[in-house]
Amino acid sequence: MELKLSNLTKEFKDVAAVDHISYTMTTGVYGLLGVNGAGKTTLMRMLCTLIKPSSGCITWNGKDIFELDGEYRRLLGYLPQDFGYYPDFTVYDYLMYVASIKGLRPATAKQRTARLLKQVGMDKEKKKKMKKLSGGMKRRVGIAQAMLNNPSILILDEPTAGLDPNERIRFRNLIGELAQERLVLLSTHIVSDVAYIAKEILLMKEGKICVAGSLKELLAPMQGQVWSLDVSKEDAETYRKNYKVANVRIIPKGVNLRILSGQRPSENARPESVLLEDVFLHYLGEGMVEEDVSI
Amino acid sequence: MCRYELKKVFLKTGGKIALLLLLFLVGVTCYFATNIFYVDGKGDKKYGPVAVRELRAMQKEWAGFLEEEKIRQVITENRRIRHSKEALSDETRENEIAYSWGQGISEIRNLLNYSYASHFREYDYYRADSLSETDAGDFYANRVSLLKAWLDEEAKDTFSDKEKAYLMDQYHRIQTPFYYNYMKGWTQLFAFSPTIIMISMLILGYLVAGIFSNEFVWKSDSVFFSSVYGRNKAVTSKIKAGFCITTMVYWGSVILYSGFILLYLGADGMNCPVQADISGWKCFYNITIWQKYLLVIAGGYMGCLFISFLSMLVSAKTKSTVLAVMVPFVLIFIPSFLANMNSVFVNKILSLLPDQLLQMEAALNYFSLFTIAGRVIGAVPILLVVYAALTVAIGPVIYWGYSRKQIS
Ligand SMILES: Nc1ncnc2c1ncn2[C@@H]1O[C@H](COP(=O)(O)OP(=O)(O)OP(=O)(O)O)[C@@H](O)[C@H]1O
Ligand SMILES: [Mg+2]
Repeated sequence: MELKLSNLTKEFKDVAAVDHISYTMTTGVYGLLGVNGAGKTTLMRMLCTLIKPSSGCITWNGKDIFELDGEYRRLLGYLPQDFGYYPDFTVYDYLMYVASIKGLRPATAKQRTARLLKQVGMDKEKKKKMKKLSGGMKRRVGIAQAMLNNPSILILDEPTAGLDPNERIRFRNLIGELAQERLVLLSTHIVSDVAYIAKEILLMKEGKICVAGSLKELLAPMQGQVWSLDVSKEDAETYRKNYKVANVRIIPKGVNLRILSGQRPSENARPESVLLEDVFLHYLGEGMVEEDVSI
Repeated sequence: MCRYELKKVFLKTGGKIALLLLLFLVGVTCYFATNIFYVDGKGDKKYGPVAVRELRAMQKEWAGFLEEEKIRQVITENRRIRHSKEALSDETRENEIAYSWGQGISEIRNLLNYSYASHFREYDYYRADSLSETDAGDFYANRVSLLKAWLDEEAKDTFSDKEKAYLMDQYHRIQTPFYYNYMKGWTQLFAFSPTIIMISMLILGYLVAGIFSNEFVWKSDSVFFSSVYGRNKAVTSKIKAGFCITTMVYWGSVILYSGFILLYLGADGMNCPVQADISGWKCFYNITIWQKYLLVIAGGYMGCLFISFLSMLVSAKTKSTVLAVMVPFVLIFIPSFLANMNSVFVNKILSLLPDQLLQMEAALNYFSLFTIAGRVIGAVPILLVVYAALTVAIGPVIYWGYSRKQIS
């Protein structure tokens, strides 16, 4: 099992959404992290044969996926970022329909639908119309849909977007369960979604993978570069101008800053252990939203 | 798979409303088509089943071959009624009474107006009144001589010699005398058939318009096209669904409509030639009423299939339901704007447009001829063959285009 991207490029008019990416994936969870517009969705669409690359190629066990065509799609499960459905279908009908276009036999389709509905906790809502579901419920149906054909390659585009923290933890566990024996590529801009379950994490920026590796490999080079510092409110501004600040927290005496820096920013600064958020900030240059850090 | 495609169409509120609307419109059309009246001996207008029963009985008395003797009787009877004191009276009620006597022969009387006209294109309602019994023998000969005169003068440049010969031949070849019978059921059915067929077309155009484009509207395209069958079998099942919807909706409304009209007005006269009624007197296709019915409904079906396939093609190519919905409207209404141009060439083109299939009744009466490989042929057979072929050809084009769609 090997999915290989070679010099993969997709250009839209003036932007290169995906820019000469080469990477190889086998089984396990791959976390694709990137800010808005980094090219995650474009990359995933190419992996799902939905759009053709401008140049470069994608091979599955050595064969071009666009030539494998249906044979490749038989192995594929995809949850799009913009998950669309048939509004008047019931959850059950929806899954049975997707099963039919995924080439499942009716008996198998029934079995798998029943099992997945239980697994994603939608068994009680199976008679509900799709348009009446909440956002979280839709996502769960979305993941069930992707799993129907027991795919060897599972591609999930921001599966946790719009979920509350509880749901997100449930989701993470579910994905962990599903990840055995298959290749899971999961995109997100929420670091905590992938920090603990991903075998490898890919940081994507402006169509390129700027760094990739296991959590340990990503954290190691930044060891000793993360500091915690309590300062007054006035000084905080100066530090924020001069350093990359990962987090700002109000404390009784002023503010506590989490600073990324090769050198100790001040005598009072205490070294901190590195988190994936820090790596994200270091490479992609943007701070994390407070709620995301809290999980 | 195809079952779910149908569900996508009919579970929508719009889909359900469209079907109910169709049912309602078929009902309304049936009402107008069967709303015939009869005037009783006291000069009162009667509607409903009584009218049908009475009119049918009166016209049935004159059923039979329209031989010279029968034509003579009609001329005599007509004159008797026209010269009665009731007919000549100044009182409307008296006139109505006179009219009531003439209802049995009214359809044959109409044929006389055509046959004895001074001109092929002329229709004079009072022509029959000035006939005498000695004219009866010319009834069929007139039909041919009027055509000949028309072809020699007015239409001299419209047709080639070969086409003229063909028309004359068709007129000569028809078997006379015509068999006449009460056939109100059929004539009413034909009169409103374009209405029913066009209504069905517009409704089913609306239904099939979304089959392909809605995947994009609903954003379900990503899941659809990344599935095993998303670029082959699932596309075929969409085409099948379009075919099924067209077939079900069309035949549903046509059978409902024909069944109701014929049960209510009666199916008598199906073996009469179409020329035995005023609506087909000049028709150069020598067919019976029943054959005309078959042509009307088969043509309608062919037309609906072609237009819905074209609408699906637009839906698949442009990803726009709105554009696809417009296809039937454009094809049905644009020709009526061009119809006023009065050019021989434009008229020839018009007689080959798909809306003609939806109004076979009119197409059969249209003097549009084509010479193909030395043989003269009317527009109707060309329409049937050409659009059947085009429909069959559109299927693969839809498939080819849709199964290669990229998601943007
Ligand atoms: N169909 C398209 N036509 C033109 N440009 C596009 C198209 N799709 C994406 N782009 C551009 O490609 C770049 C990458 O977009 P993409 O959707 O892949 O980003 P992303 O990483 O998925 O972002 P997000 O986190 O917001 O989902 C963006 O600059 C976007 O504007
Ligand atoms: Mg995206």
